[in-house]
Amino acid sequence: MTLVATERAAPTLRLEWRSDGSLWALRGDEERAVAVRRCFPWSEPARYLSLRDSEEEEFAVVRDPADLDVRSRAALEMALAVAGFVFEVTRLLEIDEEVEIRHWRVETRQGPRTFQTRLDDWPRLLPHGGLLIRDLAGDLYHLASPERLDRKSQDLLWAFVD
Amino acid sequence: MSTLHYLDDQIIARYTAQPSRLPLELRREIERAWQGAPVQLYALADLDQSLRLTETWVVLGPRHVASARRVGEDWEIRSVERSRIEALREAPGLSANTLSILGSPGEPALLLVRYTHRQRRTFENLRFILEEQLEVGARDIPAVDPDRVYADSIARPVREAQALVAGHQTAVIRRLLGYLKPYRRQLSLGMAAATLITLVSLVPPYLAGHLIDRVVRPAQAGTLPLARAWTIAWLAVAAMALVYLVRQPAVHIRLRLMSILGEWVARDLRAELYEHIQRLSLAFFSRKRTGSLITRVSADTDRLWDFLAFGVVDVSLSLVMLVGLGSVLLSLDWRLGLVMTLPVPVFCWLIYRHSERITRLFIRAWRKWSRVTDVLSDTIPGIRVVKAFNQEQREIGRFGERNEDVTTEFNRIHASWTTFWPLLMLGVHMMTVMVWVFAVPRLLGNGAQLPVGTFVSFLLYTTMFAAPIEVIGQMARTINRATTSAHRVFEVLDTEPEVRDVATPVRLEPVHGRVTFEHVTFGYDGVRQVLRAMSFDVHPGELIGLVGPSGGGKTTIVNLIARFYDVTGGTIRVDGVDLRRLDTGHYRRQIGMVLQDPYLFHGTVLDNIRYGLPEASLGHVVAAAQAANAHDFITKLQHGYDTVVGERGHTLSGGERQRVSIARAILHNPRILILDEATSSVDTETEREIQQALERLVSGRTVFAIAHRLSTLRKASRLFVIEDGRLVEHGTHAELLAKSDGKYRRLYELQLQLQ
Repeated sequence: MTLVATERAAPTLRLEWRSDGSLWALRGDEERAVAVRRCFPWSEPARYLSLRDSEEEEFAVVRDPADLDVRSRAALEMALAVAGFVFEVTRLLEIDEEVEIRHWRVETRQGPRTFQTRLDDWPRLLPHGGLLIRDLAGDLYHLASPERLDRKSQDLLWAFVD
Repeated sequence: MSTLHYLDDQIIARYTAQPSRLPLELRREIERAWQGAPVQLYALADLDQSLRLTETWVVLGPRHVASARRVGEDWEIRSVERSRIEALREAPGLSANTLSILGSPGEPALLLVRYTHRQRRTFENLRFILEEQLEVGARDIPAVDPDRVYADSIARPVREAQALVAGHQTAVIRRLLGYLKPYRRQLSLGMAAATLITLVSLVPPYLAGHLIDRVVRPAQAGTLPLARAWTIAWLAVAAMALVYLVRQPAVHIRLRLMSILGEWVARDLRAELYEHIQRLSLAFFSRKRTGSLITRVSADTDRLWDFLAFGVVDVSLSLVMLVGLGSVLLSLDWRLGLVMTLPVPVFCWLIYRHSERITRLFIRAWRKWSRVTDVLSDTIPGIRVVKAFNQEQREIGRFGERNEDVTTEFNRIHASWTTFWPLLMLGVHMMTVMVWVFAVPRLLGNGAQLPVGTFVSFLLYTTMFAAPIEVIGQMARTINRATTSAHRVFEVLDTEPEVRDVATPVRLEPVHGRVTFEHVTFGYDGVRQVLRAMSFDVHPGELIGLVGPSGGGKTTIVNLIARFYDVTGGTIRVDGVDLRRLDTGHYRRQIGMVLQDPYLFHGTVLDNIRYGLPEASLGHVVAAAQAANAHDFITKLQHGYDTVVGERGHTLSGGERQRVSIARAILHNPRILILDEATSSVDTETEREIQQALERLVSGRTVFAIAHRLSTLRKASRLFVIEDGRLVEHGTHAELLAKSDGKYRRLYELQLQLQ
């Protein structure tokens, strides 16, 4: 059996920010407030973006933002900045092991932050390099280039990187 | 303030660097602005619109919702009337969530806040209350302490991940040592034996020096008569023999007593822990992972045995040994004594540094080891998929690569310790060389006189330094490991069961089986209500079918009837008596449960059927199995009722396990029976057999049956349709089908269409 992707000539998708602070997707007569989900947040963050309504139903998939008009693209980029937000770690100050948890004290682009991970929860190596750490609450911390951190940070991080 | 609240405040202060409550002056200011209306709930929005960390509070009152943003030393407060809210929208992101509180369509958001996942639970509480208002109109918020709810929500992830026991390391050690109290006699004897070993170990080098200086050399020089020299020499030999004769029995006593004593303490801890775990409420088990609890009863108590049996003694005696050695050496010859004792703190420090480095190497190796076990736990259970997709070579390659990787790390560890310890020993030997360097000129008459015997004693003492230095260097790690285990054990012991009996509980004898819900509300976290003001009255012998969408509250109802949790509002009565006033143990003996995934224990089929009634006769067991349609398949098994079913009963099929569990329930003869999806995971033929068995089981009892397959509940006395925590419809199958726009009818028709 051969699987063939079929494409129908769908009405053009438009996106806009409205005064209610939400991203709205418009297609033909339909319009819905949507949130953006990256289908591949780490391997292909700029493409395949799922637009979902408040019921978590998919309204549309944007395969490539370049397919959108300029205003829609700008609106999408704003939404992506929030949806894709993770803490960007710029410096490690302390990694300490306590009973069953690992305690991290870091500086991020967003300000100083302390968080905890389970002892057996290891930083994840991302497809395009960099590390991702998930804390106990589910917040994510991204170290884009561990090798470019200062010496103390690298020293602290040594046990957690290959 | 409760212990848990205090603990939550401590966690927030220590781990999150965010306020542990709404600032008091802000709370007063908001309440003033609301003309005295109280703050009912609040949350912290910790991200601003440009996604930088900030401090903005969102506060909920009976008629208002306010946001308060810190601007310098002041607060910028914006208050919105709740009656203006028409919609809520939450957009979850990877780490930033956005909550929009909306008024009329097309208008700007009344409030738009952003927050990290750390704050999400507190915002879910707010959102729940506001959504309730939108769905069913304004409703009173359950009487909760907003500080408590906030602290619980923020601290919970850490509290659930970590064994937190209030108190410092010394307090934990002291508490641990308290377990030695019942064995004071054995402990004293063991410690005395260990002290004796340490002290007598110091004697042989001293004797050797004494013999050389006071006997051998004077005898050689002719200043001591030979006969007297012989006598003293033989006395010295006898003393040496005596030392070893005393030492070895002392070693035996110490090892035997302390290891036995450690076992006793570990046994006591295990017993106390297991007994306590059995008494804890279900809420505790939903918070803690099973694996973690098993580790606490097994590995942690074992580690504590090691610490109590050997760690405590080793550490204290190594300190005694070092102090003893130092004192003896300094008293024999202070100059050489200094040569020997001054480097000791340096060695201890070096060992400490080395153990720190080794710890980092172990973290790295442990991380890589987990990657190896990941492959194993992926591919061994999933071997059929691996083979079906012909991926064996790829998996072999993946494992090989990771195996290679972890070996490199372990070799790095070996390289570290195999380099360090010889170097350290070189240092210890250099101390000996230094003793020679300082002693030889003096032995040859240059400088202060040094008797040869004293020199020999020194040389012998140097060999005794290495062991206590090593123990002292590892002391921090030993104590850390022990306190970690102690924390984990004490956390369980310090957890209070949430369901407790009153001082003089009531025993219903017999239980008739009338179950009444009076305005019952229940929420697992105190704010979000899973059941809302639910009322019904079930008569003895009725079969009640609970139907409705998943997450509606059906399982919560049966959990409350079994008193796995206590209601947060209203009352549940059994035969007219408040459930909370009943003797829980006695009451639960009147309850039977048949679950979707029946749990069988490791043991024989007979043991499993007799689980609730171990003294039941074989005749009763066979009768119960026959009623459960289980007798036939059991007798076909090679060992019949004596067949050992594996872990969780996995040597039997799903339908067979279910029928054994029904036999167990029939034998138990409960007055109130709970059937939770008892036939949902079996084939049609098995379902028919189980249905027959259930029909025999339910007769004459009050039964609550949850089922998604509505056809299985046709014979129910009444059906309760549960949706969103409410009883939305009730009646017989026929009555409910007769309702043209009824929810049950719609569900039933949907299922018919699917068939």
